[in-house]
Amino acid sequence: MPANRHLTTTVPLVLSFLLIPLTIAMAFLWTGEDADQGLSQKIFYFHVPIALTSYVAFGFGAVCAAMYLWKRTEAWDMRSYVGIHSGTIFGTLVLITGPIWAKASWGVWWNWGDRQLNVFLILFLYYCAYFMLRFSLDDGERRRAASAIFALLGIGLIPMSFLAVRIAQTLIHPTVFTAGGASMPNSFLLTFVVGLAGMLSLMVLLISVELRGKRTAARVLQLQRVQRGEDA
Amino acid sequence: MQPPEITLVECSKRFGDRLALRKATLSIAAGETVVLLGPNGAGKSTLLRLVAGLLRPTAGSARIGDVEAIAAPKAVRAGIAYAGHAPQLYRGLTARENLDLHLRLHTTTADTGALLERVGLGDRADERIDGFSRGMLQRLALARATAHAPVLLLLDEPASGLDADGRALLDDTLRAAIGTRTQVVASHDHELAARLGVREVRLDNGGIA
Amino acid sequence: MIGAALAIARVKLVLEIRRREVIFAMLLFIAATIVIVHFALSGDTGAGNRAAAGMLWAAIVFTAVLGLLRTFAAEHEGGVLDALLLAPIDRAAIWLGTALAQFGFLVVIELVAVPVWWALFFQGDGPSVGTVVLALLLADIGIALVGTLSAALALGARTRDVLLPVLVLPLLIPVILGGVTATYGAFGEDVGGLRPLGFLALYDLVFIALAWGTSEHLLGD
Repeated sequence: MPANRHLTTTVPLVLSFLLIPLTIAMAFLWTGEDADQGLSQKIFYFHVPIALTSYVAFGFGAVCAAMYLWKRTEAWDMRSYVGIHSGTIFGTLVLITGPIWAKASWGVWWNWGDRQLNVFLILFLYYCAYFMLRFSLDDGERRRAASAIFALLGIGLIPMSFLAVRIAQTLIHPTVFTAGGASMPNSFLLTFVVGLAGMLSLMVLLISVELRGKRTAARVLQLQRVQRGEDA
Repeated sequence: MQPPEITLVECSKRFGDRLALRKATLSIAAGETVVLLGPNGAGKSTLLRLVAGLLRPTAGSARIGDVEAIAAPKAVRAGIAYAGHAPQLYRGLTARENLDLHLRLHTTTADTGALLERVGLGDRADERIDGFSRGMLQRLALARATAHAPVLLLLDEPASGLDADGRALLDDTLRAAIGTRTQVVASHDHELAARLGVREVRLDNGGIA
Repeated sequence: MIGAALAIARVKLVLEIRRREVIFAMLLFIAATIVIVHFALSGDTGAGNRAAAGMLWAAIVFTAVLGLLRTFAAEHEGGVLDALLLAPIDRAAIWLGTALAQFGFLVVIELVAVPVWWALFFQGDGPSVGTVVLALLLADIGIALVGTLSAALALGARTRDVLLPVLVLPLLIPVILGGVTATYGAFGEDVGGLRPLGFLALYDLVFIALAWGTSEHLLGD
């Protein structure tokens, strides 16, 4: 158990505390200024890794949801919930950093032409609905199964939202702004990768800490039941 | 189809913070009829729903023959009949249409007229059931539950709302199938088991007494 | 499987035809929504084809949600769901039958609403009929599928009526985007040919697959 705990908590704790400040340092001290956007482009090293991390967390939540439907054990339900919870936290950060970038680049807080941002808006509404669904059902098998199925629908919704936004956009916004692209200088790319690793470590940390809290709460509840003589 | 045996092993069901059934262990032989007795909230309905495969046990197992009830395949489900508190009938359909749908879903046929006649609803067959009384619905529910010739019959307080004739019909239905159909009946009627000459099982506060 | 689904769909249609209230409510609602959105856009019929297209699609989605609130209501009232779950049919048939009925309601509503929309906004030179009809049918499949799925998930929730729109609407945003874009195409704008229609078909397939894969877990405990 201790080795496992180090892997899921201590390692990501150390990594995120090293890598995230390192990203800041690299972004401001090492990478050059972007020719078009200047200083405001620096947010790219945070905004995009946060967005990707958010997808990873939603994916983790969906995989655990599928595992729950297969195995039907509470642990998978808890993992799925915690994954989606941290995905939503990162998703909220995307919706905060996105408009900051948009304001600096285009002078408006919200740009309906930014594909990534629009998809996140859809996903944010969707995953908020996940929490509403979960908390309107009584704790039990039914709630866990319904949450798992809804989480799995996200697997369909994410690519469908991307496609839909793209199809609608070719028409509404002929010029599409793409962040980075293939022609990134090496210093940009490396900083981006370090930023991504930092955010992913932070995600693993958040998930494992929340899971540990949930497990402890479940264990306390179970002990209370044993004390009441229910032991089931 | 042969009647199945029913096996509950340390079967528990929890709803939120309430333990509706605690470590119930019970076996019912193939073809046996059992009357479940106990006060309201004792866990009778929960036990029946677990056996029907409508609820998943929180712990332990509930088996029909050698399959878990919750995972019963279609072939096993085809032989189960369960009548609960709700009549399980579409209120906007007639008595006959309800039976027709039921038979259709069980991919079987039967003389719906005769079935309705037997439960005393012959002359109301083509009326919509939203005008039916509690007792009439209970009779129709009984007709529905036995229409597809089940080998496992689970009834939850089937006598509630029935008049004297209806109760006699219920007794006859149960008595006629003793030995050929596994039957579990939750009831408040303390004489039912004696009248049928079958075993009774008492539940209290979620446990088998 | 298909037989059981059709039997369930038939019963649900018969029930609604006998009661009529829901269909009439949906018709009145879609008419009111079109009028309200029209006036909300300051009653400017010159707002153009795009505004008219948006009006139609918004009205259809909101009306569909209104209809969805009644899905499974008949089963819920009489405890019929237990009987359906115990019947020796695939669980997918319950959901498929319900979705088929829902699809039927949507088509009926649109048979009335779309001609009215046409008459109100276009004098003679409307969008290409074939494209609009095809887009509507493809979208109806997706709306019925996803809507029925969400309604099944919300069964047993304390605040079902509030919850259901919250669950369904984000899932339907891609349908709206595809439908509106297809309708622009019907007005002769360049939307990449059949791409919006293809997208709507793809959406239907993706959610059929997801619903199919999870249907054994969808209803019941």
